[in-house]
Amino acid sequence: MKGNIVKYARDNIDTDVIIPGQYLKVHDYTELATHAMEGLDPDFHSKVKEGDFILSGKNFGCGSSREHAPIALSHSGVKAILALSFARIFYRNSVDGAFLLPIEIDQDAYDGISEGDEIDIDISTNEIKNLTKNQTYKMKPFSEIIGKIIAAGGLFKYKPDQD
Amino acid sequence: MGKTLFEKIWESHIVVEKQNEPALIYIDRHLVHEVTSPQAFDGLRMNNRKVRRPDLTIATMDHNVPTSDRTLPILDQTSAVQIKTLENNCKDFGIKLFDINSPNQGIVHVIGPQLGITLPGSTIVCGDSHTSTHGAFGALALGIGTSEVEHVLASQTLWLEKPKTFEVRVEGKRKNPHAVTAKDIILSIIKNIGTAGGTGTVIEYRGEGITDLSMDQRMTICNMSIEGGARAGLIAPDQKTFDYLRDREYTPKNYESLVDSWKENLKTDSDATFDKTFTLNINEIAPQVSWGTNPGMTCDVDESIPSPDDFSNGDDNQKRGAEKALEYMALESGTMIEDIKIDRVFIGSCTNARLEDLIEASKIVQGQKVASSVSAMVVPGSQMVKKQAEEMGLDKIFIDANFEWREAGCSMCLGMNPDILSPGERCASTSNRNFEGRQGNGGRTHLVSPVMAAAAAINGHFVDVRKLDLN
Repeated sequence: MKGNIVKYARDNIDTDVIIPGQYLKVHDYTELATHAMEGLDPDFHSKVKEGDFILSGKNFGCGSSREHAPIALSHSGVKAILALSFARIFYRNSVDGAFLLPIEIDQDAYDGISEGDEIDIDISTNEIKNLTKNQTYKMKPFSEIIGKIIAAGGLFKYKPDQD
Repeated sequence: MGKTLFEKIWESHIVVEKQNEPALIYIDRHLVHEVTSPQAFDGLRMNNRKVRRPDLTIATMDHNVPTSDRTLPILDQTSAVQIKTLENNCKDFGIKLFDINSPNQGIVHVIGPQLGITLPGSTIVCGDSHTSTHGAFGALALGIGTSEVEHVLASQTLWLEKPKTFEVRVEGKRKNPHAVTAKDIILSIIKNIGTAGGTGTVIEYRGEGITDLSMDQRMTICNMSIEGGARAGLIAPDQKTFDYLRDREYTPKNYESLVDSWKENLKTDSDATFDKTFTLNINEIAPQVSWGTNPGMTCDVDESIPSPDDFSNGDDNQKRGAEKALEYMALESGTMIEDIKIDRVFIGSCTNARLEDLIEASKIVQGQKVASSVSAMVVPGSQMVKKQAEEMGLDKIFIDANFEWREAGCSMCLGMNPDILSPGERCASTSNRNFEGRQGNGGRTHLVSPVMAAAAAINGHFVDVRKLDLN
């Protein structure tokens, strides 16, 4: 999975800035997407492209349980969030609805990857290749549980292994 | 080896659990509101599914309801549609709804306990992160997203990864419990453990500093567990818990026998161990005021705003975060908290809008007037809280002091209804989140206790309520 990076070099990006409360009444996902990240970066909608990845620091997606947050990012074209760590409800929301991949990275990847870099993520090998800088980093593997929900294509498609 | 309270509740609710799979957990109560449920009901319809246990599902509207005169139509059309949609969904699927005109309407986390729907040892979910509030009764209460709401509606179960356990011990006694409140305890905890300190864990709050608290105060503590990143917060039930829930509208008929079994089972064994422990001593803690844009950016009322260097302990992102926060908040390092002037005061939210919160705040307000530069409002957490407060004459105390006295709802905590800050306005707020834009685009939020908010309203700036006579 290849895409370019939009980088927010800060911790604690909360779901209120990802999609401010006033838009939780919007049911049209295309319209919702036009307000993604509005609380933090009003230019996000004009600069993000289909297939892009967001790179950020610790505790991404903290705060409100609004599933509108991964939905707004997903409908903006974002396929994955690379972050040093995630808040748990956002993390589950992202995979439950198969909206985007929440990928935990280490400090090397966080420091090494810059805005605009072209990245290739391979979740079968847990490798992240920076094609712009010709560097490779490890991603933290999904837990077995989360990997299965992702592989199934979301919570409603997931079935536990049969005995 | 012994078990923790969390482990006991978890194990008693397992439907299926296999190695390397999530556990399928049974849900005893599902609370539903207008904002995170419409897509879930749409999903049920698309797949021809019913609500599996409408009798265990309770709905109300709280997030975007107007708090002004309810005999008037709702002017915001998108809110009106969302409220109407919940009414239709509850009717179609046979779910009990406390609608906008119900005497039981209110913030979902305030009405659950008040109605006796929240019970010790139960599992409770809601499409709202502050579901952790119900943990004050020894319930495992989890905030979930809309996909999970749909899953619970359809199956009354959830696939969950087992959280780790986190013991937060609160030791000691507050010197002035009217001035230093449960809000100050939980803000102190978050200041220390950080906003991600509890990630992936269920916190159990223990110790004398917790058992001393009333149920209203315990709910304030558990409510903000999510601001420390935790999945849930728990407090073992005791006599205060059992007395609180007795004779409520939905208290089960076999209540006394339930109490007997809760007394026996709902506690952490003395030889149980936690994955993680943090201890806070509250003998000397001060009223807290947040200065930044997350609840961890908080200091004592008699301190000055820290420099980003001092705050960050050498972490670059923390430093940058503090710099950006100060820029957003239009504050400078070194400014004394008591010198910060405010424009608005909001006493409300699922954190601090229960009866005891309003009683405590009213003691400061009685016989005083809101500073001429300040606009202040009280939004009771539920219509029942409002009615009880009015029976005690609290409404008159607030109105005489020039506070607005509103109908129940989430209101200015999250800026979904007309109660919002204007860009640049600075608010002393009893709510739970000081994120950028949370209370309205460009609004600046300082998280404080109800007594601190009331004192700020009267004085036009923060004051150390320990200096006031509150008894």
